[in-house]
Amino acid sequence: MLELRNISKKYGDFSLKDINLSISPGEYFILLGRSGAGKSILLELIAGLRSPDTGTIYLNGRDITGEKIQRRKTGMVFQDYAIFPHLTVFDNIAYPLRIKHMHRDKISEEVNKMAENVNILHLLNRKTDDLSGGEKQRVAVARTLVTSPDIVLLDEPMASIDAPMKDDVRQLLRKINGMGITMLHVTHDYSEAVRLAHKVGVIHNGRILQTGDPESVFSRPMNRFVARFAGIRNYYSVKVYKEAGKMFAESEYNKYILPEGNYSDSGLLILKSDTINLSLKEQTNHDNCIRGKITEINRAESGYEMFVDSGDTFHVMVSKKDLEKLSLKAGLSVFLSFSSDALRVI
Amino acid sequence: MDKRSTFHWVILVFSSLVLLFILAPLIGMALDTSPTEFFQTVRDEEVQDSVWLTLSVAFMATLIFSIMAIPFAWLMARYDFHGKRIVQGLIDLPVVLPHSAAGIALLGFISREGLLGKAADAIGLNLVGNPLGIAMAMAFVSLSFLINAARDGFAAVPERLEKAAMNLGASPLRMFFTVSLPLTWRNIASGFIMMFARGMSEFGAIVIIAYHPMTAPVLIYERFNQFGISYARPASLFFILVALVIFIIIRIFSNKANRRLTRVNLNSR
Repeated sequence: MLELRNISKKYGDFSLKDINLSISPGEYFILLGRSGAGKSILLELIAGLRSPDTGTIYLNGRDITGEKIQRRKTGMVFQDYAIFPHLTVFDNIAYPLRIKHMHRDKISEEVNKMAENVNILHLLNRKTDDLSGGEKQRVAVARTLVTSPDIVLLDEPMASIDAPMKDDVRQLLRKINGMGITMLHVTHDYSEAVRLAHKVGVIHNGRILQTGDPESVFSRPMNRFVARFAGIRNYYSVKVYKEAGKMFAESEYNKYILPEGNYSDSGLLILKSDTINLSLKEQTNHDNCIRGKITEINRAESGYEMFVDSGDTFHVMVSKKDLEKLSLKAGLSVFLSFSSDALRVI
Repeated sequence: MDKRSTFHWVILVFSSLVLLFILAPLIGMALDTSPTEFFQTVRDEEVQDSVWLTLSVAFMATLIFSIMAIPFAWLMARYDFHGKRIVQGLIDLPVVLPHSAAGIALLGFISREGLLGKAADAIGLNLVGNPLGIAMAMAFVSLSFLINAARDGFAAVPERLEKAAMNLGASPLRMFFTVSLPLTWRNIASGFIMMFARGMSEFGAIVIIAYHPMTAPVLIYERFNQFGISYARPASLFFILVALVIFIIIRIFSNKANRRLTRVNLNSR
């Protein structure tokens, strides 16, 4: 269990402010934030590579705020892996074991066991300079795991991995977490959080804005910034009012029907792109239907993304099949329909 | 460079002139020395002693001072502190000082009236006219080369590697010897060679600290002064040849060590 209490750190113009965070044993926690948000510094504080100005860090009940780096039992996997370039793969993994003055045979046994665990047994005698990014990462992970850390700190582990290899890395990370190891992984990529995290946090300008399970953070982001991190592309400033027993949100251009509930008078209306249904004719099966004009169509990872202007600009995802069936193209007038349940005001 | 433009020809001519300027006097010296003269000089014990003294003292001075200078270089590469530029200026100072002036300064320090001289005198040691004094004069004028080369080397080692080592449980001392130092080997070796070379060619500071025992540069100067150029020449040629052979040997060894220790390209990371 890792617990940060009121951690602050000033660093040049930048500062981490009043960070409170708690990660349960065995949990996979992902901290999302843009570069410069303070993620890496936070990891370095936990690892003891820097010390906080104020606050306390507990690991498994032990106050490690002033503890020596070497005794913290925090395993850091650096963004560029920090593999020792003058050592072989074997010697890299054996590095922490040699510090413990372990017997040679025992070292060899441990290194082999760990290498097998992360599928790099065949690389053990190799020099590290010609390894791929993914292989280097496995070496770094193995080297950290042999120290039996109480928590593994991962700094942007996907950043230097080629897209096709990302699945392998995710599998590896899940496997490690599956061994019962607590993980704190920082990234700027929302999709990593969706796929890996038990719990997520969003950090911005040195503050943690929101934490919770991914489902709740991403479906109920507390502000525009978190919404952007949750991959939400549609958000509009609205006034909220009640009329004839129904709740409405009104932007400068459109009026939206909201689900029942309590709202403040104004806020940010958010709508996920994949909850919008696009058609050529007006639809009545959803309570919201808005007319607009396609301004742009781009190929996306799966299907196409489309921007539709109705005063408010909508980001909509459509499949290739629908694109062809409806002969969608820029300039065409279309109807966007979505259920009021898909709307949220934050 | 498919077509040789005037520009390229000019560069080629200039480069050749510069190389010729370096080589011509050396070749001239070799041609002007008769084999008989040369072998006589090689057999001359005074010459042998001075060459041996120069090499051994320069080597020891480099070795001993590097023990302190290399950690200092690491400090200069890793930490920013108040007055760092002044410290760097101090490191570079001996290079820009006239060496005879450096010798005078050092003499004040190590003579019996000087701070270090007094301490040495207390244990019955006179640093002036002693190989130890010579070593100090050599180190004084050449230490900057080693410190700066090592500092550049340490600065090129990513700090993350050192952080990673400590995160893996290494003490700062262990981190230094297992990560920082091996990765800086190349720079340290070339700094070592530079310091050694600079030390053994030193004349100005040494001649003030110790005319005797005579180092090779002092001996060459003395022969020139007393007997003229034709007597100084074979000794000079011998000293140059010995120095050359030693540098070639050190280069070969340090290259081998490099290949073994750091088969890496620090730039690629």
